[in-house]
Order: sequence, then C-alpha cells, then structure tokens
Amino acid sequence: MRNDDDFEVGITLPIISSLFDDVEHRILSPLSCLREFDNHWMLEFDLPLVSKKDIKITFDENTVNIEARLKEKYSENKLGSVTKFEYFKKSIALPGKIDNKKTTAKFQKGRLEIKIPKKVIGHPVKIT
Amino acid sequence: MKNNNVKIAKYDTKENTLLVGFPSNGLVGTFSISYLIHHLKMKQAGEIEIPDLPSTLFVEGGEILSPIRSYNKNNLFVIISDVPFDQYLAKEFALAVHEFCKKNAIKKIVIVSGMETVNPKKSVPKIYGLITHSVLDNILYNNQIPKFLDGSVFGTDAAIISVFRKTSIPALVLYAECHPFFPDPEASIIAILTLAKILDVKIDTHDIQNKIDKLRIQYRNLMEETIRTLQQQQEKKTRAPQIYR
Repeated sequence: MRNDDDFEVGITLPIISSLFDDVEHRILSPLSCLREFDNHWMLEFDLPLVSKKDIKITFDENTVNIEARLKEKYSENKLGSVTKFEYFKKSIALPGKIDNKKTTAKFQKGRLEIKIPKKVIGHPVKIT
Repeated sequence: MKNNNVKIAKYDTKENTLLVGFPSNGLVGTFSISYLIHHLKMKQAGEIEIPDLPSTLFVEGGEILSPIRSYNKNNLFVIISDVPFDQYLAKEFALAVHEFCKKNAIKKIVIVSGMETVNPKKSVPKIYGLITHSVLDNILYNNQIPKFLDGSVFGTDAAIISVFRKTSIPALVLYAECHPFFPDPEASIIAILTLAKILDVKIDTHDIQNKIDKLRIQYRNLMEETIRTLQQQQEKKTRAPQIYR
C-alpha cells in the first residue's frame, strides 16, 4: 500500500521482458514498473549510479523514452569477457491516452518517478 | 517509565537456529542472508532438493552450485535459495525446510523478507516481525521489533508460515520495508542489523553499503524473474469465478 492521492487501479510490467542489455552500444536496460491510478499513470525506473542532470525523458505519442548516463562505467564479467556499460536506456508504451504536457518527474535515491495524467476523452451521458 | 515487574527471559542464542532467505520483495532475503553467510564465513553443509524444481545449476568460479543450499557454523544454520518459487514449489520448499529442521534439531527459524513501504518518503525503512508461536514474543520485545499487525501474506513466506504454525518449531518472519519491484539492498541492511541483534553477533555492513548501486544493477534479472513468479501467484489466488468479475 502506498500513500498516494488517488486509488491505485493496477500494476503493469512490460509484457515482454526488455532487460536485454545492448552490449555493442554499452547500454543497460533498467527495471521499470507501471502503476495505474484512476486519473494518472505512475511510471518508475530504477536508475542506480545516475545523477539527475544526466537523465533525459522524451515522449513519442504514448511512448515514454528515458536515457541516462552512468556516473561511472559499470563492468560485467561473463564467461571471462568484461563488458563496460555507460548508459541506461528504455522505452515504455503506455496502454492508454496520456496528457504529456502535464507530466511531472521526480528523482530520488536513484529511482525516477514519472507521473503521467490520463487524457480524458469522451462525452457525458445524460441520465433520464 | 521503567516497569520493574516485567521480566523478559533472555533469548538463548545457543540453541540451534535456522535462517531462511529466498527471492521476494526487493530481494531483501537474498541480499541479507547471503551477506550474513559471507560475513560470518559460514561453510556450505549441503543442498536442499525439491523434486519438481526444474533442473538448474549455477557455476561460480568453476564450482557447480545447487540453487538451494544449506550452510552451518556452530549453532547457526542457513538455507538460501537463489531461485523464486511459484505456489506449488513454495509448499514443497516449506516442507523441505521443515524436514531439515527435524534432522538438525532446529529450535526456531527466522525468515527474512520484504514488504512494500507504507510511506515511501520516510528516510529509513522500518522492520516488522510476524511470529507463529508466542514463545518468540521476547525476541520482538528485546530487540524493539514492532509486530506485523495487519495485512496479507502470500507466496513462499505464507507457505512457510502455514507449515510451521502447525508444528512445535516456532518461526519469526522479519519484514523490512522496501521497494517491492526493484532490488533494495538498503532495506536489507536494516534486516542484517536486526538479525545481528537477534543472533547477538557483530556484523559490519560497510561492504554492502559500498555496493548498493552495483547490486541494484547486478540483480535486475533475478528481481524481474521474482516479480513475474509472485504476480502469477497473486493472479491465481485472486481469480474469482466468471460470474463475479
């Protein structure tokens, strides 16, 4: 349970795992989690080893893209081969219409929280 | 005000105690128990076999490791799993832990797990204790661990509690507040310090503190696998008949 203004509707993880690191371009795929509330989405990314000034967030229709440069290179040793990673990068497509002009973001303890209001579309129905 | 009439029995650190850790919320159990094994220089004593567990082995520095292993040092025993369990395997794991307890004359078990932070704005995570038998009340009292009073428990924690509450071996589950979907080594430090108090041992947490960021990157895949396993369990558990949907 979290203290939030709105009622939480559900939690959605990306349907297909996107934790495939791009070894060639030294890019790590961060963990992310999407929670649905009644009037907004809360999208979180785990970005350890990152400073706030090195994070870039962009929108492309209903897709949120984040890119962040690591403060120091992260080395991984697999089968005797060392790979050094320099960036986090991920794109998440949201399942509903969003109002990206009213989006806000917060970065604390290496976790990025993006609050994305839902776009209200439709017309009221009169009850007779 | 000090109440001189209250006498709390000193907890016996000499009796055989089993610690259990497995991947769950924030990987708190995984981080804290593996740190304890490393820090106390515990020796591997055996492997725990679960019949229906898909064949998995890990190779570390050329050494083949089973995913569920037991460790021992003096009167302290540990069972650690590197793989998360679905609801069927969780029950089998809980029964295997109980079998281990009977064979090794274990007097109590302590499980370390994570729970979602109620207030994420708090700077220091808290830890709560859930006990199966009132005989462990003194551990909570002596170590100032608040009781887990309300909420629901599911997954491997629930399977172990369900098995042990029907036996004579008491179990204590330590729930550290954590981020449920991301690896949370910071929360596991609280669990390590609490375990150190309970076991009456000195544990320096500098090693893990210095590696917090790197551990969060390193354990991304295990975290994702754990979440998927836990979500499958929740979906199955909460599936209502079609008519009520």
